[in-house]
Amino acid sequence: MASTDEIIEAYGEWQSRSNANDRLRKMLRGWDRVVIIETTDTRERLTIAVVDQTLSDIVVGAPEVVDLVVTGTSEDFCDMFWGDLNPSEKYISGEIVIHGAQADVMRLDAMSMVAFLDQ
Amino acid sequence: MHVPEQLRDVVVIGAGLAGLRAAVDLERAGGDVLVLEARNRIGGRAWSGKAEDGSTIDFGGQWLGPDQTRALALAEATGMEIFPTWVAGVNVELRAGERLEYSGLIPTADPDASVEVVTAMLDLDLLGLDVPVGAPWEHEDAALLDSETMATWLDRNLASPVSRGIVEVALQAVFGTNSDELSVLFVLAYLHGGGGFTNLTRTTGGAQERRMGAGAGALAVHLAKKLHGRIELDSPVERIEWDADGVTVHVMGRSAPVAARRAVLALSPILAERIAFDPEVPQRHALAAGMSMGRVRKVHARYARPFWRERGLSGQLISTNGSISSTFDNSPSDGATGALVGFIAGRDYDSTAGLTDDARRDLVLDELACAFGPEARLPMEYHEVDWPAEEWTGGGPVAVMRPGALTGAGDALRRPIGPVHLAGTETALEWCGYLEGALESGERAAAEVIASLGLTNGRGEA
Repeated sequence: MASTDEIIEAYGEWQSRSNANDRLRKMLRGWDRVVIIETTDTRERLTIAVVDQTLSDIVVGAPEVVDLVVTGTSEDFCDMFWGDLNPSEKYISGEIVIHGAQADVMRLDAMSMVAFLDQ
Repeated sequence: MHVPEQLRDVVVIGAGLAGLRAAVDLERAGGDVLVLEARNRIGGRAWSGKAEDGSTIDFGGQWLGPDQTRALALAEATGMEIFPTWVAGVNVELRAGERLEYSGLIPTADPDASVEVVTAMLDLDLLGLDVPVGAPWEHEDAALLDSETMATWLDRNLASPVSRGIVEVALQAVFGTNSDELSVLFVLAYLHGGGGFTNLTRTTGGAQERRMGAGAGALAVHLAKKLHGRIELDSPVERIEWDADGVTVHVMGRSAPVAARRAVLALSPILAERIAFDPEVPQRHALAAGMSMGRVRKVHARYARPFWRERGLSGQLISTNGSISSTFDNSPSDGATGALVGFIAGRDYDSTAGLTDDARRDLVLDELACAFGPEARLPMEYHEVDWPAEEWTGGGPVAVMRPGALTGAGDALRRPIGPVHLAGTETALEWCGYLEGALESGERAAAEVIASLGLTNGRGEA
């Protein structure tokens, strides 16, 4: 189990890596979205925004209107943000679940795979 | 000149899942239905048999996905066991003499190639969402998208031969063909109807998520039982005479033709070409001429135990070496014995078709041994189904469309020919090419007939 602080720290690493990745930023063109991370074990909700091809800081809590909700364990989110876990592995096994419009789910799935592969 | 028997409400041609679904719905609505089947068995591409030890082998379609509501409901109605496909462990990629392991959907040994694959898949999925599944030819760029093969699209979008190899394997697995036989517009519509590339290719959460203990053939048996013997086997249809009032169907070896007010033709459009229409319908020739049947040889290798699991392997393989290009763990749910199922498809089907059975088996078992360990060389039982050699299917898993087919004649897929209504998985709006698509198409064709004949009621329980 990972603490919220640990998730925030790991996300910071993922954020800076992703925002420096041109291929990934290209995938985010025209895709401003609000994404909620929901941990199944620690019952935490955190919010990330994608604005102008850039990942925002992560914020504790969740607004009422969101585009995507990603559910998984705190440990898996940490490992994914550190780049140690292929998110596709957990997504295709159903341990990480993404809810949202089909096109948004497809894009988040793809961009998280690229973030992992392209580090 | 043979005199037809009494006039029936509906004759259904083809006792695959589409035809059986249609027949059951029509009978339930009060219709007097007869089903004609060319083979000596029902089920079409849903066909199961027994291994030497009595366990089930699916020779054709075998998986269920969580969104495939019709097929799931029917499987549940049979009462058979439904269980998850085995996915635990790492996957193997074989490529040009190398053996690599990976987790997740796509091989990761060459990250640049994998990023290309992910990006291309996303582009196709997003493009697909804009294609109307029921009328792809109405997309604003339909002419352009239907003028191009997937091969040239991939030439433009993938730089690396590794990424191209991975995508070709995925196309072989999904369509039984390679990129040079596929219209881009057709692929986009197919992806849209099946929920996207990831949905079509993944196990958990996707099209390969669950398996059926008694096999897909049990779905056909369940439907057939409801028809109280109104199925005639060994009855290939040769000719359909039709006018606005109905059909007279001439069957090889049957003393009297079958007369009915409506017909449901539940076959792939390519196979339907073997039936003459009087008067003829040029549009259906144009459609079939633009289609080709996938070419797949489905391989089962059965072992005393699922030994790959002991090595932490999932049984999933992607290989670009030119014989078996994808495999899955197909062991029984209790894992008491082991089974691998795989596919030799598309150009790999072609290049291995001329080999002797022994030579091809050696080639396949060498690949499996390389991927999963030396035990793979010595299966208890080895079995191949050569779908293109199946006279009354002509290939598998699905008939695909080459450039020009959808925009030229796509509306002939589902548009009734007078009293003849069209079903078969190729005509499905969603999950075309799957068991689910076959059921959807049968349901739709039955609803058309019920409406046109003014029968009482439509679908009920599975």
